Amino acid sequence: MAAQSGSLPRYIVQRLLLLIPMVWLTLTLVFLLMRVAPGDPVTASVGGRLPPQALEARREALGLNEPLIKQYWDYLSGVLQGDLGKTITDNTPITDIIKDNGGATLELTVAAMLFALVIGLPLGLLAGRYRDTPADGGIRMFGIVTYAAPVFFVGILFQLLFLNVFSGWPLLGQSTPITEFTVPTRTHILLLDAMIAGDGSATVDVLKHLMLPAITLGLLICGILIRLTRVNVLQTLQADYVEAARARGIPERKVVTAHAFRNALVPVITIIGLLVALLLGGAVLTEQTYAWPGLGSQLITYINQRDYAAVQGIITLFAIVVVVISILIDIINALIDPRVRY
Amino acid sequence: MGTTDSVTALDPAGSYDLGSSTLQYAMYQQLLTVPPGTTKPEGDAAQSCEYTDASAETFQCTLRDGLTFSNGDALTSSDVKFSIERNIGIADPDGASGLLASVAKVNKDGTLSVDPNAIETPDDTTVIFHLNKPDATFQFVLTHASAGSIVDEEVFPKDSILPDSEAVGSGPFIMSDYQKDEQASMEANPDYQGPRTPQSPLVFVKYYPEASNLKVAIQNNEVDVAWRALSPTDIADLKKDDSVNVYSGAGAEIRYFVWRLQNQTPSQLAVRQAVAYLIDRQAIADRAYSGTVEPLYSIVPPSFPGSTEAFKDVYGAAPDKAAAAKVLNDAGIDTPVDITLGYTPTHYGPNAVDEATELQRQLNASGLFNVELKSAEWEQYQTLYQQGAYDLFQLGWFPDFVDADNYLSPFFVNGGFFDNGFTNKQVNDLVAKEQGSTEAPVRENAFRGIQKIVAQQVPLIPSWIGPNVAVSGPDMNGVQETLDAAFIFRFWDVTKGS
Repeated sequence: MAAQSGSLPRYIVQRLLLLIPMVWLTLTLVFLLMRVAPGDPVTASVGGRLPPQALEARREALGLNEPLIKQYWDYLSGVLQGDLGKTITDNTPITDIIKDNGGATLELTVAAMLFALVIGLPLGLLAGRYRDTPADGGIRMFGIVTYAAPVFFVGILFQLLFLNVFSGWPLLGQSTPITEFTVPTRTHILLLDAMIAGDGSATVDVLKHLMLPAITLGLLICGILIRLTRVNVLQTLQADYVEAARARGIPERKVVTAHAFRNALVPVITIIGLLVALLLGGAVLTEQTYAWPGLGSQLITYINQRDYAAVQGIITLFAIVVVVISILIDIINALIDPRVRY
Repeated sequence: MGTTDSVTALDPAGSYDLGSSTLQYAMYQQLLTVPPGTTKPEGDAAQSCEYTDASAETFQCTLRDGLTFSNGDALTSSDVKFSIERNIGIADPDGASGLLASVAKVNKDGTLSVDPNAIETPDDTTVIFHLNKPDATFQFVLTHASAGSIVDEEVFPKDSILPDSEAVGSGPFIMSDYQKDEQASMEANPDYQGPRTPQSPLVFVKYYPEASNLKVAIQNNEVDVAWRALSPTDIADLKKDDSVNVYSGAGAEIRYFVWRLQNQTPSQLAVRQAVAYLIDRQAIADRAYSGTVEPLYSIVPPSFPGSTEAFKDVYGAAPDKAAAAKVLNDAGIDTPVDITLGYTPTHYGPNAVDEATELQRQLNASGLFNVELKSAEWEQYQTLYQQGAYDLFQLGWFPDFVDADNYLSPFFVNGGFFDNGFTNKQVNDLVAKEQGSTEAPVRENAFRGIQKIVAQQVPLIPSWIGPNVAVSGPDMNGVQETLDAAFIFRFWDVTKGS
């Protein structure tokens, strides 16, 4: 018993230690991938606008004339100190971009994840519980379609639908200009700022703007959650402990929700870590479609400007977020399911 | 107002793009400003300005009394001198310091440095500019937001660009809140003195990443005005939408094809003239741009004093295959003539490829030419056209200021900025003549002369001119009036409601 209770902290420490090589590998990959791209980043972004001397000065300022190993060391030590460098095109610290735009992406992805969980898990449970019924067929079809449909396509369809049927519903941006102007910035998460300010109409305005982008992005992972939950519910419903619960006369409804569904969630929680990566990828397209002022929009802007420094900085953040969330999910899994620790 | 233009910097010394200028015109005063629908500057911070000599080498301005910045600091002639010298001194690669060459010291390597004697400030309200050459265009330079905006010497650093969050000016609006690429919120400046009194207390500018976003925004009433840059297809579509008004004003944005005269084929005048005979501008406008642009028959747009239709005069309005064949035949040139036509696929919008393809089709259909299309992204394209990769290449132009000189001297003096090898003494003399005179008839005669020579020598071929287009909701006023060749969105003149 003593050994078992001690294993959880040990497991957590192990996973946290694993974070170090994972982040290091991720940073190394980002660094190398940006260097593999052909051409010189300064010429690519501001080539036609600057004389050769100014281009050279920018290369020097960015450390691009240094040996690769020195650049790598500077990059790693910068990231460790929370310094992701400056953009080439407008000389903005990348940490400022993350601070100013990260809140919008966080707001969108959290809302999308909540939507996906609220819709995906119950539908998956229903499909598993009523296997091979018309309801199951309909839910499975819904799951396949939402997963397969490209995010930008779904976004444009929603915009056309609302433009023509529910005219006046906000289709772009994070809020109306007046909300943006009147709500004081505290957390850089507009919804939170509106709530902190106690401004009811601003909060409603932000929520209305959030709805369509969150649903669009949420649908992307909703399909995966539906299918995964359904499969796991099917498996657990056939498990011995479920049969034992039924044999003890526990009502079927409770068997399904308290025994089958709860255990079916363990692999789902594991997959949520992977879904975060999908969510961030989807956020880039969703933000572009809805003119959402998040990091995804910024990433596309800087890609279009061939600003490799900015792209490297934002991708580094995305990669670290995915790695950290994966580790957190591992730890949560271990808390829920003791078998994971062994 | 919604736009897809991006803003490089709010500091005038750190930007030279339309997105930045649009906000800077609202935030800052210039000595002179261009009223709607005209090309004649009038005083903004200045009560009056004039050339004090016949040779256009001394320009003197008297400031209005009691001008202040929005932070309460007094605006004096010292701030004017500081602003211009600071712009030249910083010489930011994204800035417009090059426009101020007439009041700078021009170094041997072509760079500019501050000439401390060029700007004289005998008292708080008098500024005297001693130009280093006759320059009748200098008054127009002073109207430009990136070159002529007056900044507070107590706030703006002398040697570096001020962060956007700290920018203050004395213009009709005060920047209250600015989120880059997202939103600018501007409040009317109650202390503004000048002809641009704001008619609205509060103005928002929303930034959209895509033209398709902007179209949705105006259709869904999320913005009151959409200005720059809806695609030709979107504009054509919105014209059918009864819930919005599509306004179109005199344009200044042009496209043209430049001959690389150092290359063997285009070095032959007959080849250049034959293409000038064959190009069907109306077909380019209709097929590549859905009829949203107009054929251009001179590099100088029609709304500018001194503009002519020189290419129509020499080559006719419609394609003339017989004339093209004759000019090639007379020169003893075998047909079909091989030509490499270059374009860049994104920098000038998605329709650039359609335009190049349409010109290729027209020339090949004549049987006189065999055109090969080549493209490259903008950064590489600029290097390639200067290296001679294309015989003929597509470029676009947006004026720095509303004077015909801005469509002539950058293009035709010693090869122009694109270094295409065209040099003509008569053209150089006429440019010097118009730049050295403040007399409108003298200047306009010179403009006409240059355009005539250009049409005969064909160092480039004008293609089209795009109108200044805005789309607004039904209850907006003042939008149509601001759409002119100056491409200034005059927030101060626009109001909402009947």
